[in-house]
Amino acid sequence: MPLTTKSSKTTFNLQSLIILLSGVVIATLLAFLFFYFVPENSGNIALIYILVLIIIVRYTDGYLPGLIFSIVAVICVNYLFTYPYFELNFTLSGYPITFLEMLSVTLLISTMTTNIKHQALMIAKQDKLLSETEKEKMRANLLRAISHDLRTPLTSIIGASSSYLDNNIFLEEDEKNAIVTHIYEDANWLLNMVENLLSVTRINNQSSTVRKTDESVEEIVSAAINSLKKRMPGVSVDVAVPDELLILPMDAILIEQVLINLLENAIVHSQSSRSILCYVDDDNENVTFHVKDYGIGIDPERLKDIFDGNSYIGNSESDSNKGMGIGLSICKTIITAHNGTINAKNHGQGTEFYFSLPKGETSNES
Amino acid sequence: MNLKQKILLIEDEKNICNFIATTLRAQNYKVSFANSAANGLSLAASGCPDLILLDLGLPDMDGISVIRNVRKWSHVPIIVISARSQEREKVEALDAGADDYITKPFGTSELMARIRTALRRFTINSSIPASDQSRYRAKGLVIDYDKHVITVDGNIVHFTQIEYKILTFLSRNAGKVITYDTLLTHVWGPYADSNNRILRVNMANIRRKVEHNSADPQYIFTEIGIGYRMIDNENL
Repeated sequence: MPLTTKSSKTTFNLQSLIILLSGVVIATLLAFLFFYFVPENSGNIALIYILVLIIIVRYTDGYLPGLIFSIVAVICVNYLFTYPYFELNFTLSGYPITFLEMLSVTLLISTMTTNIKHQALMIAKQDKLLSETEKEKMRANLLRAISHDLRTPLTSIIGASSSYLDNNIFLEEDEKNAIVTHIYEDANWLLNMVENLLSVTRINNQSSTVRKTDESVEEIVSAAINSLKKRMPGVSVDVAVPDELLILPMDAILIEQVLINLLENAIVHSQSSRSILCYVDDDNENVTFHVKDYGIGIDPERLKDIFDGNSYIGNSESDSNKGMGIGLSICKTIITAHNGTINAKNHGQGTEFYFSLPKGETSNES
Repeated sequence: MNLKQKILLIEDEKNICNFIATTLRAQNYKVSFANSAANGLSLAASGCPDLILLDLGLPDMDGISVIRNVRKWSHVPIIVISARSQEREKVEALDAGADDYITKPFGTSELMARIRTALRRFTINSSIPASDQSRYRAKGLVIDYDKHVITVDGNIVHFTQIEYKILTFLSRNAGKVITYDTLLTHVWGPYADSNNRILRVNMANIRRKVEHNSADPQYIFTEIGIGYRMIDNENL
């Protein structure tokens, strides 16, 4: 069905024509059948035409097809099914009334269905507009958050390196080391951020889907732990996976990224020296990855929208949350694209983040 | 042996060139540069480097073609430098004959470790007779190729034929990334199903036998989307 409302009242497209013609043929055939089997009750014939008329109005746009059909119907009834057969005779008693009846029924139904269609269209348009503004808002939020988060380490890198260059001769050896160490840390932090943003480009924009292949869960977990240890030497993580080998369809790079983000958050933000616990369990439908820390926990107020990416924009500008927002909203995007769920909760002695991926049907593509 | 080892760096980004060269010189290597693939190929032929560091994103030629070209006449170790999230490219490079890859951005310590491993593997393969390479040892894991015996922390562990084949192949190439395809072809033959699920299952079994915690392995590491890497042989 074409969705244009303005032109549909006047234009008469091919589709409508086909529906109209087939309507005429079907109605006439049915009428012939009825006329053949129960010739004495000719009222049925008019009813058949009205029924087909309603169907035609429902599946075409505008008034014209219905109008044409009702005129044809009146003529057909007159020509084929009323005495004298195969002759037009409009002088039959009451025939103008039949004609008017058909016409008013057509107009009424046409108006009604056109109205309904119009309303449905309006609602659909409104919905689309709403979801588009919602998306636009999210994009703007993300962009703002990113720019803010990128600018902070960049400022520090530029400042530290220019201070090094300008004051080279006055600086003690350990001061120089401290400056370069800061630059190194900030640059690494920036890299982490960029990797997160890049990983989002692996998600198909239109359909929000990812390319999944069968991966072994323990390999993903061990790879994540491995790259975490490379990035943050000296961290201690207790890892456990089920004894049974779990194979899940997923985009391995993305899920590794999610795990790294959650582990890194736990290490940086928990403010605790106790080991992070990372474990995997499964039930019939899902495999759930847990990252548990024994730290300060998260304010319940923030917990609600912690995955929305804007939870830290409003209230505190404290540096302790820097980057957490984006990392987590990217986690959410990735897990959602896998048809999974991600959640966070305080477990009394700290925070636990966990996400579930559906086992689904493991595919054979590699 | 006071001869400096020569490293050829093929990379078009000047800043990256500078920092790598500084590090390499500080570590007592001799460095030559090429800023294009054509330049690099001619330097590789004339300079006889001991190792080639190759950036995959060169302006004039596909990095993979450079590897194929060099491999026609030389076994010199090639370490590929590539960006993250391009697993396909890395796999192609490794399958074309590169010895190892390092992902941009990387720390200098990581780069130096890779270079040392590649150089060492090359000298071992070319100078130590195969008969002397009859044992693999790393931490508590010992593989005796002659006797077909594998021990973990002194205890003999039994493996299936396939598992033994995988383990020996990885350990003979210890320190090097082995792509899924290479491993599949070596163990199951050239007509093996390219579905690597069977490989995953076997690897899981091996890990259950050699690792203390299969989620935090010490011996065999997974390089996601690319393949496996076994820890260096301490015996050589």
